Amino acid sequence: MSYSSQALREQARKALHLQSHRTVTVLSSLLAVQDELGYVPTEAIEEVASFTDSTINDVWGVASFYTNFRFAAPGLHNLEVCWGPTCHLLGAPRILQEAQHSLGLSGEGETEDKRFTLRYNTCLGACSQGPVINIDHRLIGQVTVERIRRILTELNGSPRS
Amino acid sequence: MTNEITLTIDGREVKAQPGQMVLQAAMDAGIYVPYLCYYPGMKPYGACRMCVVEVENQRGTPASCTLPVAQGMVIKTQTPDVVQLRRGFMDLLLSEHPHGCLTCHRIDLCGPQDICQRHVSVNDRCVICPKNERCELKDTARHLQMDLNSPLTYNYRGLQVEARDPFYDRDYNLCIACVRCVRVCEEIRGDSAITVVERSGTVLVGTSQGTSLLESGCEFCGACVDVCPTGALVERDYKWEKAVAKVNSICPNCPVGCQMTMEVNKRGRLIRAVPDLHGPSNQGQGCFKGKFGLDFVNHRSRIKRPLVRRNGSLEDASWDDALDIVVGNLQRYKGGPFALIASPRGTNEDNYVAQKFARVVMASNNVDISSNIRPELVTPLGEMLGYAAGTNQIWELESSGCVMVVSSNATEEHNVAAVPIKKALKRGLKLIVIDPREVELTRHADIWLRPRPGSEATLIGGILRTIVDEGLDDSAFVAKHCQNVDELKRSLMSFDPLLVERETGLSISQIREAARVFCQQGPSAILYALDTLNSDDRTRTVQALVNLALITGNIGKPSAGLFPLIPGANEQGSKDVGSVHGLLPGYMPVADAVARAKFEEAWGSQIPREEGISLKDMSRAILEGRIKALYITGDSPNFANGETGDYLDALKSLEFLVVSDNFENELTALAHVVLPTATFAEKDGTYTNMERRVQLLRKVLEPMNQEISEWQVFSLLAQRMGAAGFRYSGASEVMSEIASLVSAYGGISHQRLEAGGIQWPCPDSRHPGTSDLYTEGFKDGKVALVPLAFVESAKQIDGEYPFLLATGRVLHQPDREMEVIRGDGLNMVRRSQIVEIHPEDATTLGIRDGGWVDLVSSSKRIRAQASVSGAHRGVVSVTYLFGELAASLDAASEPDPMLKVPGLPLVPVRLEKSSP
Repeated sequence: MSYSSQALREQARKALHLQSHRTVTVLSSLLAVQDELGYVPTEAIEEVASFTDSTINDVWGVASFYTNFRFAAPGLHNLEVCWGPTCHLLGAPRILQEAQHSLGLSGEGETEDKRFTLRYNTCLGACSQGPVINIDHRLIGQVTVERIRRILTELNGSPRS
Repeated sequence: MTNEITLTIDGREVKAQPGQMVLQAAMDAGIYVPYLCYYPGMKPYGACRMCVVEVENQRGTPASCTLPVAQGMVIKTQTPDVVQLRRGFMDLLLSEHPHGCLTCHRIDLCGPQDICQRHVSVNDRCVICPKNERCELKDTARHLQMDLNSPLTYNYRGLQVEARDPFYDRDYNLCIACVRCVRVCEEIRGDSAITVVERSGTVLVGTSQGTSLLESGCEFCGACVDVCPTGALVERDYKWEKAVAKVNSICPNCPVGCQMTMEVNKRGRLIRAVPDLHGPSNQGQGCFKGKFGLDFVNHRSRIKRPLVRRNGSLEDASWDDALDIVVGNLQRYKGGPFALIASPRGTNEDNYVAQKFARVVMASNNVDISSNIRPELVTPLGEMLGYAAGTNQIWELESSGCVMVVSSNATEEHNVAAVPIKKALKRGLKLIVIDPREVELTRHADIWLRPRPGSEATLIGGILRTIVDEGLDDSAFVAKHCQNVDELKRSLMSFDPLLVERETGLSISQIREAARVFCQQGPSAILYALDTLNSDDRTRTVQALVNLALITGNIGKPSAGLFPLIPGANEQGSKDVGSVHGLLPGYMPVADAVARAKFEEAWGSQIPREEGISLKDMSRAILEGRIKALYITGDSPNFANGETGDYLDALKSLEFLVVSDNFENELTALAHVVLPTATFAEKDGTYTNMERRVQLLRKVLEPMNQEISEWQVFSLLAQRMGAAGFRYSGASEVMSEIASLVSAYGGISHQRLEAGGIQWPCPDSRHPGTSDLYTEGFKDGKVALVPLAFVESAKQIDGEYPFLLATGRVLHQPDREMEVIRGDGLNMVRRSQIVEIHPEDATTLGIRDGGWVDLVSSSKRIRAQASVSGAHRGVVSVTYLFGELAASLDAASEPDPMLKVPGLPLVPVRLEKSSP
């Protein structure tokens, strides 16, 4: 058993035991783990199963139902590009293309160096400012291809504060 | 019923029970409503919407499978609106399901559908679906008279077929997400090895993160395959074969006695076994052994004709020659050094005639069953209560309050007996498991007591002591039915809590907790196999368990009682009909002159008065020359795995050995004459299961070669040896003779059994059989409780193998890492083994946590990583995964691998420090 997997288990277990809800369910346990670790690793699926007295398959059934559970560790920076209708009309495809090009990705996911996670978003709620991106919970409007390239270059040099 | 509900379905008045759903009420009344996700015995789910109906004065079209019946309800199942709606649902299902089988314009020309060469694209051909002509989706679509025009496009999911797990293939391109498989796995089997993954448009059945079934905790019972309405889940063997005949018979792999529908193809092969929903002992359930372990009957290496040893090697012979040689030799051993070992796969008829042959023709009481390696499981029941058999029915466990399972790996060895327990856990059944090994049921246990091996009787004594101390006993029952109560209570005084703690290694509070749960959550039942105990401990433990059942009043009522988990499939019946050394049919002691006289009159011959030699003592008797000729009838693993001692060595010193078997093996290699024998599938007869249920075995296949049933062989031999009374027209006539001599079987005949199994005692032809024993009290009035002795088990901490290795096997161990090797063919499991060692032992041996050790037994060496967490000094434990077993069973080249599923014995070992 590798060290990191053992550490993940410990962390997951801690999060599970710290749940303050009166009713603890598979869902609440998964949320607790994701809050703690940022994602739900295989080890945590197993820990949730033992904690809630269900099987890993039961837990997976719940986890895979919700699109917001992540099963891979997130990158250092989280980049969301809106591809809602308004942003789309205002040029989001080009922004997306540029983001994927600079990050070396072909879809959603983590970069190889684990520095970035790219995700699509259906609407970030700022349609008048489109195209919009959201980087580490900071909303940026009227993005241009140059601007996103600059932002990514800057972030690539500096760790998240 | 007084509170019956009356409703109208399609203009017909229909009676229903409160709580029933409209769909069930309609089906009971013979009105067909199409359905795909509903399945008898499972909770309604309402996923497929195929069973929608109209209800008068109610809006909408509810699904009838989830609509409870109500008084005066008026239901219409065939209005144009409803039919239109159903067609719409079917359209949606077919939009993702290949359906060339429905739209092909040649269906009518094709008739029985043959391979078509050019009419339908390859993907779409009806013969490409393994459930062709068995598909419920197809039947439903036809019922709906869909207007299907060829070609109809559909969205093929293009998923890879999962074909590398043992035993079955999963093709989710054919899945219609009815979720029957997930529900049966969770609701009925209690395993949850599969789940519904993802959501809305992409919902499908799968496992956690798409792992193989080996990793997901699957027990390969095949229940999902049995309920699947489409070709998504199928058995891999004979996947494409179509059945031309279906015959109901009984599985020969364990004494649960599952009723199965055996399917036969046009070449006369047994291709599938589907557990029968109406089987009283299995209720539609089966297990890996029954579902995937019957192929041996088709095996090419079956012994085809009699073999006779000439000049040291076995040569083919005709039946006449072989029988002549057997008769010629056996003549010499009449009345003396002869013994007969019958098979637990033999029918009651086979084994009755076998023991009659031994007693009448050979004048010998040396008869036993080869599976009778743990006779102590039932003998104390006979001595104390009256009948040497389990007291209750398996499926009553579903409504028990508490079940105690003592040293038995029920999930593997008596699989379906554990199903009602696992099912009942969901409604709050309390499960107490007493076992030094980690087995599948320990995961589900409310209380898992893990005593030091050998201290089980002491532990039960401790439980009895708590019951007496705390006044938890059923005093009314005890006063009415028991004697010797004071003697028992006095004997319990020696079970001092501190001593019990020291002896079992368990805390007294745990033991008390178990006692309270057992007494207060009744009715409580006890299942026991005691396969880890030695024979003395077994007798004491069974006596203690009978005491426990008695003083808590858990005998003579439904959902309680004692369930001895005997090893052989028809061991119960074989003993009932007298294939035991000391007992004539019906458990009449050989030594009893009156009993003997009855049989001597019936059989027209003298019966020797001395008890015969039992299976256990036979090998010694052979070596000492008291047995010189032996007749063994087939199918016994116990000779090879050492459970019966060093038999094979002893057999070498026999003067004459006859073996009748299906395959050549260690025994036939030593035999002088080998006779081919009919398997369970090739004969008529009866099996008696562990709940005393006599069930009919029907001929599924015609014998492949020249095999005949054992009873026929013995009848031929007896006639050649000039004995009268061995001429039978068929197995049913043998049963009539049994019925005339054994009072418990008095009312049983093949003709009656056609309608279903009967539990003995069934004294006359109008008696319905007895589901629970002792409901009317006990044979001799009061039962004498047996005082218990506190026995300190010998602690061996020295010698060559100072440790006891307790091996366990579970479905899943989420906290231990494993790896699945995806080879070309099948998946295999690989992982490092972890051995649990008591901290003090580890310190003495200088072993640290995570260090490597070798476990060395007299025959094997296992390398494992130490986990210093063991519960008892002198005991180490290793837990295997069921998946490893399933994978190796599937890959086994032996013709009958299920017969030799390795058990989980306790093995003496020594530990050696090692490195990875």
